[in-house]
Amino acid sequence: MAEISVADSRRCNYFFLYDGSKVKGEGDSTRAGICYFYPEETTVDKQELLCGQLAGVSRCISELSSSPVRLLRLRRSKFAIRMKDDFLWSLGCPVEIPDVSICDFLDRLINLFCFYNGPIRKSYQIYSQEDLAVRWAQYLSHLQGGSTELHHIFSCLSTIDTTHIDPLLLLKAALILQACQRCPPVLAGCILYRGRVVSTQMTPDLTVKVMVHEMETYHQDQDHHFLQDQRHDGLSSSGSSGSITSSSPVTFTTVYLTAPELHNLLSAPVASRSQSTQSTPKEVNRARKIRQLSRTLSDTPPSDPSEPGSTHNAPLALHCPSSLHPATRDELLFSPIPSSHTPGPLSFSPIKGAPGLSGLSLSNGKLSPDVEGGFRGGSHNKKGVSGEAGVVRGWPTENDDFQQHSNGHNGGAVELAALTSEALLLREQNSPEHGGQTTGNDGDQEGFGETEGHRGKAQCVDTGDVPASPSENPSDASLIPMALYQHRVRGLVLTLLVENHFHSDTAATEEVYHSSLASLNGLEAHLSTMAPAGAAPMGPYTFAHYDCIQKTITTNLSGTPGGAQERSFVRATSLLHSHFCNTEALQEVIVRSAGAAVYGSRTVAQETYFLQQGGTLRNSGIPNHQDSAFSLPTKARHRLLKHGVNLF
Amino acid sequence: MTSKSSLLKVILLGDGGVGKSSLMNRYVTNKFDTHLFHTIGVEFLNKELEVDGHTVTLQIWDTAGQERFRSLRTPFYRGSDCCLLTFSVDDNQSFLNLSNWKKEFAYYADVKEPEKFPFVVLGNKLDVPERQVSGEDARQWCRENGGHPYFETSAKDSTNVAAAFEEAVRRVLAQEDRGEHLIPTDTVDLHRKPRSGPSSCC
Repeated sequence: MAEISVADSRRCNYFFLYDGSKVKGEGDSTRAGICYFYPEETTVDKQELLCGQLAGVSRCISELSSSPVRLLRLRRSKFAIRMKDDFLWSLGCPVEIPDVSICDFLDRLINLFCFYNGPIRKSYQIYSQEDLAVRWAQYLSHLQGGSTELHHIFSCLSTIDTTHIDPLLLLKAALILQACQRCPPVLAGCILYRGRVVSTQMTPDLTVKVMVHEMETYHQDQDHHFLQDQRHDGLSSSGSSGSITSSSPVTFTTVYLTAPELHNLLSAPVASRSQSTQSTPKEVNRARKIRQLSRTLSDTPPSDPSEPGSTHNAPLALHCPSSLHPATRDELLFSPIPSSHTPGPLSFSPIKGAPGLSGLSLSNGKLSPDVEGGFRGGSHNKKGVSGEAGVVRGWPTENDDFQQHSNGHNGGAVELAALTSEALLLREQNSPEHGGQTTGNDGDQEGFGETEGHRGKAQCVDTGDVPASPSENPSDASLIPMALYQHRVRGLVLTLLVENHFHSDTAATEEVYHSSLASLNGLEAHLSTMAPAGAAPMGPYTFAHYDCIQKTITTNLSGTPGGAQERSFVRATSLLHSHFCNTEALQEVIVRSAGAAVYGSRTVAQETYFLQQGGTLRNSGIPNHQDSAFSLPTKARHRLLKHGVNLF
Repeated sequence: MTSKSSLLKVILLGDGGVGKSSLMNRYVTNKFDTHLFHTIGVEFLNKELEVDGHTVTLQIWDTAGQERFRSLRTPFYRGSDCCLLTFSVDDNQSFLNLSNWKKEFAYYADVKEPEKFPFVVLGNKLDVPERQVSGEDARQWCRENGGHPYFETSAKDSTNVAAAFEEAVRRVLAQEDRGEHLIPTDTVDLHRKPRSGPSSCC
């Protein structure tokens, strides 16, 4: 294993999905369990070696520590691990990549797969291994491709360069999205231009997922293999440009949302988030939308007969519609609406939900990580950059929770299931703050999990709390099928998350299409005439500003691999980001080499990194008040103001 | 009948709120939305139609009327084949501003001979009972400013909308015919938009 090479600069050296259920007995060959292996040209023997060893080690450690494994650290590479039911995902990368980034990368990859293909077990029952291999490869290359090293470190969104476009155009984009939401089945949308976000109503995580399909269609479009949607041929007659081909610019794709994602979309105060609204019709629409959604969800069949371990239960089955639209039927077949053991809709009460939630926030919430963080922060600082405490951690409370989840359709899973259907509505009415809390907790758990993840560096094993976040590892039961409506106007794409029945509602699709077409044409015309960003004039300093909420980055670093100074800036940023993630109490750091010093500062909402170039560094190795590094914070504050970054 | 229709760019100009977007939407999608927001910058829609045996694709550019959007809209004046100057019959100021719009267009579109450029004047909101601009005043302005055709329209109840756009197409085609006699076929006219297909000449 030690000879695993870290040859190139790819973030991902290895990725595999291993299905432990296929390899139970002594005689079963390891290769039977390998669902996907990247790089695909790896010899089967080597695949077996890696999968077998890592699966074995992960299983062993998780059983010993009764806590799932998050990260395995070898001498020259490390592997982020996810285990769920019998499946094990592993992503290998060079050690230089921060633990947070690699764990986040793997989560995103898995979530992406589930977003487009539904629950993992089912997708492998429905599609061939070869087909899904193509998908994995596509998602891998999407997540690795395109943007700069800094984007990878922070796992952030590629946004359009707002410094070069008129802010009125951003307003225009936001208004287009709002206008689309006047149609009730439209939940939220985003507008992308040449693979970058212009405006989005979705969370950053959801936006990233949606972007994959955009890239896909973009490339297909360029190759003139545009996906055709027969029903929409009529629409394109009033097509968007004079030179457009006869193919339709509109596509539909089935996607799967986790219950928290859906809940978030429905409870998000869209009106207050946007810059200008006509409030009254909006309110009416919203109310209507919620009603309609609850109806839609309870209309769908409660369980899928092919789901192992699921039981049909009568009360829910009563809600099963007698006449489903034919177009949605096959999707529903595939539809993983919760296989719940809970008797009926009434028991999905918020009161029942509450203990679970508060339980989660106790074991994962702000309190303990803060204390932990403060504690660790102290010790960390003393130990400096390479604090390697040999710690193997397990979180018993957490772990119990996880057991429930992984038991499949009992316990925890039921609670997830309860998030759908009427529960959504009830929670909406009774405790609006609940929704925010749920997702808030997810965030915390995730952050916390990762914190734990790279905390312990016990020889080669890290364990942390994987499990609790339902949004992170979508339980099979919690994925709700939705549709993605995409309308392309050359480099510009309007993407809308819509309810599944939208596709078959010709009047609604035409309304959305026609009401947005002119504005999309115009926006595209504006954006295409904007001067290309070009390399921003490099000042005597380099900075990177990361917005943790919107997951966007602002930097004056050019996208191309730069000089030594730029590379050391990126390295320092990567290092500091990792430390900030590890150490919640850490707020300001200066790291320095003989030739350069980088200042890092963070709050809950942002992280900022600053390198002053030129000038002689006066440092003698002994603390000295004339040391130029000490003036970095002031310089950073001063310089970055004109970039709209306020460090006060 | 030509196999490939030519693309004609017409542009709607006029004060904010006179109904430019509504006119475009009424003509292309036959819909009327009372809740339209201000247009920001420019928007456009294509429509294929046949006028006097010529099939053309009309590209209708709708612009923002508000002064603050000026810098966004003016770059898109270039290449226009016809300009539809729009005012609202219930708003005298929008009528008085027509000359300013004409000037702004001529300046940014860089029209060589503004007096020969096809303009069409539209008095919209005919459905509104309280008129401030009489038809006679409007016609007089059109006569005095180069003999532009004048249409009184209502995007709301669809009055005269199609007729106005068709007249715009006729004006452009007539202009082209005249141009074709003057320009030798082996030269390239740099000031005119290249047509996408073979010209549907008579």
